[in-house]
Amino acid sequence: MTTVKERTKPVLLPELCKGCGRCIEACPKHCITLGEEINQTSGLVPVVIDYDVCNGCGLCISACPEPYGLTADGYELEDPAKLFGAAPHHGRTPAAIPGRAIPLPKSEPLVLKGNYAAAVGALLAGCRHVFGYPITPSTEGAELMASFLPQLDGAFVQAVSEVATVNHMYGCGGAGLPVMTFTSSPGLSLMLEGISYMIGAEVPAVFINVMRGGPGLGNIGPSQADIKLLCRGLGHGDTNAIVLAPSTPQEMLDLTIEAFRLAFLYRNPVFVAPDGYLGQMTGRVQLPDHMLVPGIPGWAVYGDAAHRGNLINSIHLSEADLEKHNEKLQAKLARITANEQRSHTHRADDAKILVVAASTPARMAKSAIEHLRQEGVSVGLFMPVTLWPFPIDALRPLMAHVEDILVVEASAGQLEDELRLAMSHADLGGARIHHLRRMGGMLPQEPEIRARVHEILEVTR
Amino acid sequence: MNSSQEHSAFYEHFDRHAHGKGLKGASTHYCPGCGHGLAHKFLSDAIATLGIQDRTVAVSPVGCSVFLYYYFDVGNTQAAHGRAPAVALGHKLANPDSIVVSYQGDGDLASIGLAEIMHAAQLGVPITVIFVNNAIYGMTGGQMAPTTLPGQWSTTCPNGRGVMEGAPLKVAELIAGLDGPIYVERVALFDQRRRKQAHKAIEKAMRLQVEGRGFAFVEVLSECPTHLKMTPEDAELWVKDTMTQTFPLGVLKDVEREPWFEGPRPKFDAPQMMKLVGAVSVDDPMPRFGGEFPVHLDPEDVSLKLAGAGGDGAQTAAMLITRAAIREGHDATHIPSYGPESRGGTSYADVHVARTEVLSPGAPTPHVLVAFNAPSLTKFGPTVRKGGVIIYDSSVINDVPPVREGVRAFGVPCAAIARELGVPLVKNVVALGAVCAASRLLPDEAVLTALRHALKDKCALIASNEAAFAAGRAAVEAAG
Repeated sequence: MTTVKERTKPVLLPELCKGCGRCIEACPKHCITLGEEINQTSGLVPVVIDYDVCNGCGLCISACPEPYGLTADGYELEDPAKLFGAAPHHGRTPAAIPGRAIPLPKSEPLVLKGNYAAAVGALLAGCRHVFGYPITPSTEGAELMASFLPQLDGAFVQAVSEVATVNHMYGCGGAGLPVMTFTSSPGLSLMLEGISYMIGAEVPAVFINVMRGGPGLGNIGPSQADIKLLCRGLGHGDTNAIVLAPSTPQEMLDLTIEAFRLAFLYRNPVFVAPDGYLGQMTGRVQLPDHMLVPGIPGWAVYGDAAHRGNLINSIHLSEADLEKHNEKLQAKLARITANEQRSHTHRADDAKILVVAASTPARMAKSAIEHLRQEGVSVGLFMPVTLWPFPIDALRPLMAHVEDILVVEASAGQLEDELRLAMSHADLGGARIHHLRRMGGMLPQEPEIRARVHEILEVTR
Repeated sequence: MNSSQEHSAFYEHFDRHAHGKGLKGASTHYCPGCGHGLAHKFLSDAIATLGIQDRTVAVSPVGCSVFLYYYFDVGNTQAAHGRAPAVALGHKLANPDSIVVSYQGDGDLASIGLAEIMHAAQLGVPITVIFVNNAIYGMTGGQMAPTTLPGQWSTTCPNGRGVMEGAPLKVAELIAGLDGPIYVERVALFDQRRRKQAHKAIEKAMRLQVEGRGFAFVEVLSECPTHLKMTPEDAELWVKDTMTQTFPLGVLKDVEREPWFEGPRPKFDAPQMMKLVGAVSVDDPMPRFGGEFPVHLDPEDVSLKLAGAGGDGAQTAAMLITRAAIREGHDATHIPSYGPESRGGTSYADVHVARTEVLSPGAPTPHVLVAFNAPSLTKFGPTVRKGGVIIYDSSVINDVPPVREGVRAFGVPCAAIARELGVPLVKNVVALGAVCAASRLLPDEAVLTALRHALKDKCALIASNEAAFAAGRAAVEAAG
């Protein structure tokens, strides 16, 4: 018995046909021809099918590059009357999978190098995906991760470059998982494009940038000369991110954990920016009382049914759309500026001279201030922990009694610029601003700070 | 929903294409005759056929297919120019169960992204790369691509691609030459037979990933009538007759490989974490040896410098002092200063031991100096504070420069003692014994405990290290 298989004939929606003619040569019956009439809706010239000759073989459908141009059983175009109405929404609501905390027993302090402390912090924050490219003086972080992560069934990938590193992070962070890297100044320069994409696409990630001497290849000595890049230059576009400045191995751990929290809270990269000394310095580190198991946020492109409709994306073709997106990002940055300023002070409550310094120079300054106070000098320390946003709210009340500010830093005034900009925006003035700067992998030393304060006293007396 | 929808991974309505308004809600942004639409359809079919729509993550590149995410109802990420394979790898490692496809054009993959694709391919982690090669830059408007043919006109090789522009890059051959990938094929779209083959190849490349077998790469020769300045029909003929001369079609690599990819599946276990980082519960405390803060050296903060050549063990000795001091309840820091060489360069370690908090971690004016060679003694000897101590290796330093008044200098033959013990490497431990004897910085047992802890995996070395420590102490005591 012979059965005749009934084959449906192709349906052409003329509005969706671009008239490329691929179907013409695909048709063994030669029943498709280039049309002659311009379609009034599309402005293009669709092909014409002679259905009397067509045997429904379907080869034209497989030749058509348009998803809904030629179909087996048609595609229902929306009512033309509604074609230019509001955008319809077919999206499902993606599900967030919550994270959780696991208590840790109280432990004896560890003795850890700063880079190791940051790595341990990342592990405790739930990070199991680390990508990196070796660069001194940050490499120990990657080395520890390469050793530990396989034991935790996580992943460390040594990338082909810093450019690849930041894009591995973009993928993994976009999937909603905590991801991080260790790098140092030249490496950060290479990552900037990807960082701009991350900020645009709202991808969380943590960067430990152990700053070394520049410009160019520079050297591997400690420096703070990436402050400008971190606070004002995170790639193209209107970009900013929280920049944390640790000053002890303990803070390398604590602030790395905090960096992950902030990165996910705001869906933005966060930078931990120690000077090279802190990466290399070993000291006492107390573990926290819990570790974290990450969840998967609702927005993530995780690659499962719960997150199928999601998109990680920084392109917005329409200028109006992109401006709106920027306004949203700026509102977020404004929230960060209002809520996330952090700083420490030391003997600053009545100080006439205020030393402003971050990271290792701040420790040097603290030591100098102890000595100077013993000499009866009214001097205190203001230590930004967030370099961006600059902690201007905590500085403001001090300005009632501060007459001179001394900015101590390992760069040519990059921290001072942040201070001046923040003071200018806050309409804070009145104090004379002095500086003590070292460059090229050198840190300001404690005796230099004391001497500089004495100079200021001489001049202002 | 109609039947073509059930058999595809496309959105029924392209809401992301100009907000889904007008015809754009149902048609692609590609020019008439462009090959991208077909490659999209084949990929969509493969996703539907394999039943992986929920698990798929598509990475869009920069180039004409930047808007891939308009069309595919899967998880979507749009990547920076050339970086899609790096992004894809991030996704795959984040969720090993996801099916990740990197869809790229020739400028994106073969020019700016060459490092990323080579690295991802060689790594061999199962991801699928669809490489659409149309021999020209489409999105930016017809500039030369790495795949532009010899003699072919483009806006940036207006006289035709010549010797100064180099030869076209045969990417599939390049990828097939690597050990990482398991499947590499070049296909085309210019006739029914080739389209069927392209369809099959893309499905196979996806299936190999689903089965966890490895990295698969499909190069699709595609038509760009707009920038070739041809009719769609002529563009097909050009690919068929001209492009395939340079880029021959066919399977370039097809290796049988058993499923192997498990992917990272992280563990989160508190006891394991504690053990891994070497944390010890306070319920099981480390022994302490009642070391009072060494106020005879400084009321608040004692600094040490250990200096020598790389390999002398200055950093290890410094680390042991730091660990011992912290265990005794003081604050302590260690900061190394290396020369550029790993061995044989200079190697200085600065250590601070403070009653409450170390403030300046550097040691420009140390209380204790350990000098393993003459240049170190010459350089740092004069920086030692009054009341301080110098230990120098008298087996290698013959001429001792005069030390400042109030500084006690002890010549200890560290290297010679270590050689006698048969373990030349322990000369730094000889120095540690000498430091403890001469400075009374820490109780011997505190340093020895740190030493034994550091050698817990090399127990055989503990005895010689203890002997070295004792010999260092004896040398100082003998010197009075």
